Amino acid sequence: MNIVVCVKQVPDSTEVKINLETGTLIRAGVPSIINPYDHFALQTALELKAKHDFKVTLVSMGPPQAKSVVQMGMALGADEGILLSDMAFAGSDTWATSYALAKAIKKIGKVDMIFAGMQAIDGDTAQTGPGVAQQLGMPQVTFCERVEVDGRRIIAHKQIDGGHEVVEARPPVLLTMIMHKDYAPRYPSFLAVNASLKKPFHTWNAADIGAEPQYLGLKGSPTQVDRIYPPPQREKAAMFSGSGAEGTARILQIMKDEHFLED
Amino acid sequence: MASMDAISRNLMLDSLREYAKRRIPFDLIRELDEKNEFPADILKEMYDRDTLGVHLLMIPEEYGGVSGGTYDIYRICEALARIDLGIATGVFATFLGTDPLNVGGTEEQKEKWLKRIASENLLVAYAATEPDAGSDLVNLRTRAEHVVKNGKIAGYRITGNKQWISNGGVADMHTVLALAPGGPSWFIVEKDMEGFSANKHEDKHGIRLSNTAGLSLDNVYVPAENLIGMEEGKGLLQAQAVFGYTRVMVAAFGLGAGEEAVEQAIRYSQQRIQGGGPLSDKQGYTHKLIVPNYVRLEGARSYIEYTALRLDSGEHGLQTEGAIAKYGASEWGNKAADDAIQALGGYGYTKDFPVEKIKRDIKITCIYEGTSEVLEMTIYRGRWQEHLKSRGRYYLDMADKLDELHAKEPRCGAHASALALRALGAVMEECRVQKLTRHQHVSFKLGRLIAAAETAAIFSTAAGAQKYTETVRFDREGWQAMARVFAREAALNTALEGLALVLGAADSGNNLADAVNIEAVQMEQKGMIADMDLVAAKLKQTFKAK
Repeated sequence: MNIVVCVKQVPDSTEVKINLETGTLIRAGVPSIINPYDHFALQTALELKAKHDFKVTLVSMGPPQAKSVVQMGMALGADEGILLSDMAFAGSDTWATSYALAKAIKKIGKVDMIFAGMQAIDGDTAQTGPGVAQQLGMPQVTFCERVEVDGRRIIAHKQIDGGHEVVEARPPVLLTMIMHKDYAPRYPSFLAVNASLKKPFHTWNAADIGAEPQYLGLKGSPTQVDRIYPPPQREKAAMFSGSGAEGTARILQIMKDEHFLED
Repeated sequence: MASMDAISRNLMLDSLREYAKRRIPFDLIRELDEKNEFPADILKEMYDRDTLGVHLLMIPEEYGGVSGGTYDIYRICEALARIDLGIATGVFATFLGTDPLNVGGTEEQKEKWLKRIASENLLVAYAATEPDAGSDLVNLRTRAEHVVKNGKIAGYRITGNKQWISNGGVADMHTVLALAPGGPSWFIVEKDMEGFSANKHEDKHGIRLSNTAGLSLDNVYVPAENLIGMEEGKGLLQAQAVFGYTRVMVAAFGLGAGEEAVEQAIRYSQQRIQGGGPLSDKQGYTHKLIVPNYVRLEGARSYIEYTALRLDSGEHGLQTEGAIAKYGASEWGNKAADDAIQALGGYGYTKDFPVEKIKRDIKITCIYEGTSEVLEMTIYRGRWQEHLKSRGRYYLDMADKLDELHAKEPRCGAHASALALRALGAVMEECRVQKLTRHQHVSFKLGRLIAAAETAAIFSTAAGAQKYTETVRFDREGWQAMARVFAREAALNTALEGLALVLGAADSGNNLADAVNIEAVQMEQKGMIADMDLVAAKLKQTFKAK
């Protein structure tokens, strides 16, 4: 089978702060990492490759430096890497991103399984994976924590509210992955990093994937970010001591004073 | 070797950091430090080709390595030092031990030994130092005598003692410097050769996770093909050929350990409330214990990068540059770690906080690979020649270039750096005229002034460049402010200390006060506090409390 894994480079969220005056992210000096959910998706795909000898191709979209996550994936064992990089893609929302990724995957050719992380830790939308499936008219199984393949049967173990669900699918299918708790991300050895330079890597622009400009970037995006702000800090709680009855009376009085309750 | 692409380098750095995060937590390091124990399993894992293979950086691709350049090695050494300087030393010893082969080995020797080091994950030691021969290898006592069979030299019998050998008690192979009939030469000695033994593991002040031992060679027979380069008498040249870049590695240790200590203090200072506010908001704290140290280390970084990039572009030697890089990074790193203990107060003085260990560890960077005093002499000798050869123009020409830079980039400290260089040129000229370098103190002190003034020049140049390297973690405003703070300090110290040096040694200072332009240097201090405020704010923003 041919597997495509979609990966994204994101700022390490533990290091990012927001500039309150401009409403933008302070990115200076913040390291970039592979989106952790994508890392898990990649590892799942590579385990299937090791077991069944599948071919794994990575696709990412971003500025030239996003090559880093693609090369890392190749160092971990993926066979081929593609980076979609073009100023025309800049500012794409999840719809425009899904459109571009779907165009690239069509260009790759016959694809049996597509893996993506459940969501990226920078935008937290969880829309791009499903968006790609929709653009390709492909069935999708979301929030998977484990995937097995048995012949043409793809068995996905999903997490759902209060339990687990096992879903069976036939290729082609898109799967988005969550992380299970005992998962330890792997990192490549020095030798593997060096060897990854010899694997096929392509940078494709909008024309290469036959994308129509009106569906790309800011102008191709039906949603736009209005502003970014941290949640307001809660004011300090007032603490009272005394009996339950005294406390209740006091709270009732405060709620009346603050006009939460009418007299 | 040229350096690799930035993406590959940074992926390797990520792998190293992730490995350390998982496998070498501070509690483990603390325990090993306490027990004075070499973590053999960790080193083996770090050398494992499928886990990390950190030793492969030094080995060319054709022999199974990854062909790291000096810049790559500097970055890895800095990252290792931030983890633990003892572990870093264990890795460094292999780098160093591999060097004579890389520099002087024949094709067959490289094919055999470099391939074995790469594929068998061998720990290597570099055995040059002896009880009576440190930086001064003229007193080398270890001898290698010919063993002749059928009229041909079949091998050598080596006898002598080596001291302070990193990895000495744990290495699989050693490159040993010995005096052969044709002169000092490097030999490959394997640990199980008869007559070879390692002494006890030293009980050291710091880098206690690094194995350090003396070696005893009692009539050890090595075959002739273990003579590196297959030619006697090349040993010292082979050793000197790599000083430029082995010193860059130790410089990276001083930088990494020193910055790590200050960064821990910066994070701490944002949480520690004293006198109604966090320490990080108090000038009495930041402008004494934090800002000057970080600024000096960023200066050292720019000099290390300058030297590393020149070596990677194919220049050879650069002994003076390597010495300046190491001298600055290790001396300033040591001072920074000392101040980091002060910055953490009572906590810093306990073993519960890593700064206490960093302070003990980092001291070695002022000692191994040439003590600071040997480096002062090396720097002085190298630049004194340039001063004489150029008839006193060496630093004046460099200052002219910085003045040109100042005209284009007025905020990178180039003007103050030019003042420092002109003052230095004037002091050196006065020393020449009055023959003051007959005093050893004068020549060594000049070495120190040279290191600071040249670092100021290189820092200003880097901060004035259009594009910064991958290691700069500050915006242009912040990094230029750091360069200005560095350059002002260098100008002031060069002028005042240079003047004092001459007055202390000579009958008259002539008009040296005018020549060093003391008035302009003093005027240049304007804006210093505002810049230090800015640097303190940038540091707080970059190294947030956890």
